[in-house]
Amino acid sequence: MAEPILKVNSVTKCFGGLTAVDDVSFSVEKGEIVGLIGPNGAGKTTLFNVISGYYAPTKGSVVFQGNDISGKPPYHLAGVGIGRTFQVVKPFAGLTVLENVTIASFLKHPKKADAERHAWQVLEATGLADRANVSAAGLTLAGRKRLEISKALALEPSFLLLDEVVAGLNPTEADRTVELIMKLKAQGLTILIVEHIMRVIMNISDRLVVLNFGKKIAEGTPAEVSSDPHVVQAYFGEEAA
Amino acid sequence: MKNRGATILAIIGAALLILPLVVHDTFVLRVLTEGVMWIGLAIAFDVIAGYTGYLNFGHGAFFGIGAYTIGILMMQANLPFWAALPAGGVAAAVVALIAGIPTLRLKGAYFAIATWALSRAIQQLALNVEFTGGPDGMRLEAFLNPQFFYYLMLITVGATFAILWYLLERAPFGLKLKAIREDEEGAKALGLNPTKLKMQSFVLSALPTGILGGIYAYWITFIDPSSTLGDLVSDQAVVMVVFGGMGTLFGPALGAILIFAFKTIFWAYLSDFQLLYLIILGALIAISVIFIPNGLWGTMFKRKADATRPQHQPEPASEPAALSAVAAPEEGN
Ligand SMILES: Nc1ncnc2c1ncn2[C@@H]1O[C@H](COP(=O)(O)OP(=O)(O)OP(=O)(O)O)[C@@H](O)[C@H]1O
Ligand SMILES: [Mg+2]
Repeated sequence: MAEPILKVNSVTKCFGGLTAVDDVSFSVEKGEIVGLIGPNGAGKTTLFNVISGYYAPTKGSVVFQGNDISGKPPYHLAGVGIGRTFQVVKPFAGLTVLENVTIASFLKHPKKADAERHAWQVLEATGLADRANVSAAGLTLAGRKRLEISKALALEPSFLLLDEVVAGLNPTEADRTVELIMKLKAQGLTILIVEHIMRVIMNISDRLVVLNFGKKIAEGTPAEVSSDPHVVQAYFGEEAA
Repeated sequence: MKNRGATILAIIGAALLILPLVVHDTFVLRVLTEGVMWIGLAIAFDVIAGYTGYLNFGHGAFFGIGAYTIGILMMQANLPFWAALPAGGVAAAVVALIAGIPTLRLKGAYFAIATWALSRAIQQLALNVEFTGGPDGMRLEAFLNPQFFYYLMLITVGATFAILWYLLERAPFGLKLKAIREDEEGAKALGLNPTKLKMQSFVLSALPTGILGGIYAYWITFIDPSSTLGDLVSDQAVVMVVFGGMGTLFGPALGAILIFAFKTIFWAYLSDFQLLYLIILGALIAISVIFIPNGLWGTMFKRKADATRPQHQPEPASEPAALSAVAAPEEGN
């Protein structure tokens, strides 16, 4: 098998006395969808922030396409092919949807007209084209989550980090987002996704990594993980185990 | 629509160019020269304040630094005006670069307070060192040619407007600055380096301001710490931009014209009531912020739906085609 696109090597991230991510290692192969799950506060978003450059790891390293990227700033990592969304969405509220996405398109399309054309293509693909000239502040939650994905995609990344892009959507909207994710996988994009909705994460993931209190407690196919006693215990407490 | 705007601009430009041939009254010419200067100061201020979201309450310091640089170079180093003028812009830009390192880390009110304090410190410095003439100020060699200064101001502000228009409205730079204004953390994920962009913005704001300060010094022939390094330049720039419309170029220009016209008329008829002028300015800020948060320009011209959406999709199967444009993972490395 080829070199994994992402290797997380014994990553630890502490906030003062709190160890939010504790000695976590795993890797992601090219073209895979890996689901990252765990109860609230398990450290999933913190791990995303380490991988995407928002935090330097306290210990350990992150290797992307063979290069150690630990501690590199996010804008550098966007340039090497890492796109991410934010669990707490970050729309540029005073700008239009099109402007939001155009800003991301500048990364690969430095001319404004080219970037705008590219942003339109992205919006057509993500189903937001009809809202392109609306202020981003005027979008519904579903729209904002879609905008997060659109901005990450406009970077033309090779690796995508999705942090709860389905949570909070109604079933129809959720299905559309899942459909979009499967299309992106078919295009060859590698995806690491955090999601609480089991129906979704079990269906779309090739493999799962499970965190609990910052530690990796299980890894494997959805079938393997869902029958793992550690996982059952972490999710349903002592009695269920 | 776009053509009409260009036509109006061309007519205004032509009118401003031939004006001195028609108007021979030096007072009127002087008022026009200063009005044009304020347009330049307001649009330069808006680069960092409106586009980037950093309200610089020390903008006047760049103006004063430009003025003093020209004064010192002409009177003490005996440089000709044309050699001294660019140095005024460069000096302001260098100060922006140095001041930006600590201050641009701050947000919101903290940045406003820090830049205000820094401009006060610079004023104190000018008051207390020898080569500026201290509180007595500095007299420049007089060159009394109102037409010359009118045209110089007009050309400088015109060029500033054109360059800023290109960088902020045509090139990607303006949108990138707005991304920083809206959400710095979010902007980083899209490949933008906020520190670099904020520095560029601050320098771009300072450079023309320093040059305008230099022209002002040579025009007025006398500068002192209170006239060029005082609060008034910063305060008026803030009012003009907030009232006119932040984050645009026409808004601050409109604000500058209206506020400056008001000031001129007020001064001419009610010069005994200077305090009232300041109260009205303050009230105007409060009223604009509360009732027209987008300023006059932003309220008059609501953003029109952009007509840039491709009308005809080249491929009938548009969705997969669009997706392949989106997801282009690198192969074979
Ligand atoms: N910047 C921070 N400073 C201090 N503590 C933090 C910070 N960010 C996260 N934490 C803490 O680290 C732990 C892990 O948080 P994190 O947001 O990574 O969890 P999560 O798995 O994403 O949870 P959720 O499913 O609720 O999104 C939590 O206890 C959280 O309070
Ligand atoms: Mg989270």
